[in-house]
Amino acid sequence: MIVSIKDSVKLFGISIMTCCAVTVCNLFLNYYLDLAAIADLIDNPVSQMLYDAQMMTAKVVCAVSGGCLAATTVVMLFFYIKHYIDSHSREIGILKALGYSDFKIARGFSVFGLSVFSGCIIGYLLSFVLMPRFYELQNADDYIPDIAISIHWELFVFLVLLPAVAFSLIAVGYSMIKLNQPCVNLLKGVAKEQGKSRDGRDKKSFVEDMKSSVLRGRKTLIFFIAFSAFCFSAMIQMSASMKDLASEMMGFMIFIIGVVLAFTTLYIAVTTVIRSNQQSVTMMRVFGYESAECKRSVLDGYRPAAYIGFVIGSVYQYALLRIMVDIVFAGVEGVPAYEFDFPVCLITLAAFIVVYEGIMFAYGQSMKEIPLKQIMSE
Amino acid sequence: MIEIKNLTKYYGRGESRFKALDDVSVRINDGEFVVILGASGSGKSTFLNVISGLEAMDGGSVAYDGQTLERMSEKELTKFRRENTAYIFQQYYLLPHLTVEKNVRMGADLAHNKDILPVLEAVGLAEKRRKFPAELSGGEQQRVAIARALAKNPRVLFLDEPTGALDEKTGRLVLDYMINLQAKQDFTMIMVTHNANIAQTADRIIKMNSGKIVGITENADKKTAYEIGW
Ligand SMILES: Nc1ncnc2c1ncn2[C@@H]1O[C@H](COP(=O)(O)OP(=O)(O)OP(=O)(O)O)[C@@H](O)[C@H]1O
Ligand SMILES: [Mg+2]
Repeated sequence: MIVSIKDSVKLFGISIMTCCAVTVCNLFLNYYLDLAAIADLIDNPVSQMLYDAQMMTAKVVCAVSGGCLAATTVVMLFFYIKHYIDSHSREIGILKALGYSDFKIARGFSVFGLSVFSGCIIGYLLSFVLMPRFYELQNADDYIPDIAISIHWELFVFLVLLPAVAFSLIAVGYSMIKLNQPCVNLLKGVAKEQGKSRDGRDKKSFVEDMKSSVLRGRKTLIFFIAFSAFCFSAMIQMSASMKDLASEMMGFMIFIIGVVLAFTTLYIAVTTVIRSNQQSVTMMRVFGYESAECKRSVLDGYRPAAYIGFVIGSVYQYALLRIMVDIVFAGVEGVPAYEFDFPVCLITLAAFIVVYEGIMFAYGQSMKEIPLKQIMSE
Repeated sequence: MIEIKNLTKYYGRGESRFKALDDVSVRINDGEFVVILGASGSGKSTFLNVISGLEAMDGGSVAYDGQTLERMSEKELTKFRRENTAYIFQQYYLLPHLTVEKNVRMGADLAHNKDILPVLEAVGLAEKRRKFPAELSGGEQQRVAIARALAKNPRVLFLDEPTGALDEKTGRLVLDYMINLQAKQDFTMIMVTHNANIAQTADRIIKMNSGKIVGITENADKKTAYEIGW
């Protein structure tokens, strides 16, 4: 087996992603189930309305955050597997040449389910740490009878065991698809057609050519960078509104999740881009290109994706809260009016520009070194 | 002219400190073709990397027409390399996702060299300019690396075992290209090799051993790439 448990540790991005998803989902679902159990105790219309709204919120939050994060986890998993196969194509090619079947090799990728499992279990435990305070805040106004926390084992199955098994299977299935290619191609490491363009007529400068080829080479990373900006934008803005609409704690939780997700995905994307272009950057430096030019050709292509992600995030969080306020909480009294918060949006944008450009600049600085020895030993 | 004086270079620190270059002094003239000959581990690559401004030195001095490398900042070194040097390695290190033409553009852009066709023709690859590196043979890839370096119009061309990964036939072909181009364009060429036969093609041979220069010979009987043994 060539995929080891150590490789699954490298998928910490997936662990963090699933940890966030499970924390949120378990908080709300546990609350939902405990709430459902006391349906009979609701005796007046005001409480009933608030009760219904809370039931609805729990469902919406779970569907939106759980669905979003699960989808992103799948994309990330696919990315890791593809990346793993690309960067180990020679070893895999040798195994295939020796007569290993695709399934026998693909089977090893099931350890990637471990990263999902570890993320889920940490998220599950974390949610129980947060739960007492969460229950208290949900019912701060005492419209609903106090609810005791009970542990629902079915949630453990659905949020921890099932995802781990499902992702293991997805990993094996997807790697089967990716391994299904002639073993000569794997041995030679024949670069996939993507990322290449034979177009020679354009009179673009080398740096511009390099920039577009880097972009074409790893399209998934465009998604990651956009997603990172999306999380940053949507979650931070939402957390500001949440403070008024829900509670400080909700706002804080969303803020933390947003920041963690944004930085993890950005880190994964940027380190991957840099590592896979290390040799080209080194050669550029050897020839006398400045580190700023190297940064421009390798990293700057992703800037539009980042800012588009930011815009989508702003719109998304507005639409989501609008729906929550207008539909879910329709008729509930005491819900503050909700409007798009321009000052918060501008502050978030400013913070984003500083953080994003700052990180890119720092990575650009790291290109000052010329790790000749390193690329030569590869 | 390149004036190298008392050059020293260490690797590692403390107990494991290792002297890779030990008090190396030599002078290389403009337009000269010099071969650095030595066994594996004798410090040839280190020497090349230090005098070309890729690696920092620990002592001594390297001066190009009076311009001293050891006093240059990182930015000045980059500018120096940009304006003066080009490099060819044993592993070609072409950019895999760019065509031959665009790989050559990488060097050409730095010299504001708009027309790369003459260089591609000089290495006999004009026909293959739309191909990707993976679609070329080893010898062709090395010729792309040569074109990329030449397109930069370097004053000094550094080569680290440029024929090391090639078979005899292609090796001779590539070497022949290099020698002819150097004679025609008159840049300084400094080539590292461990092959004493290949050294016979140079104007001067600098022998290295354990980080020291152990002999410099003028090569009166200069041979072509097709006259030497392999
Ligand atoms: N980064 C490094 N750290 C420690 N020692 C190094 C480093 N680079 C080179 N050395 C040592 O310095 C010595 C000279 O290395 P160098 O690469 O210059 O040899 P070389 O003559 O080019 O050999 P070859 O013909 O095998 O390429 C060797 O003994 C090597 O082990
Ligand atoms: Mg060497």
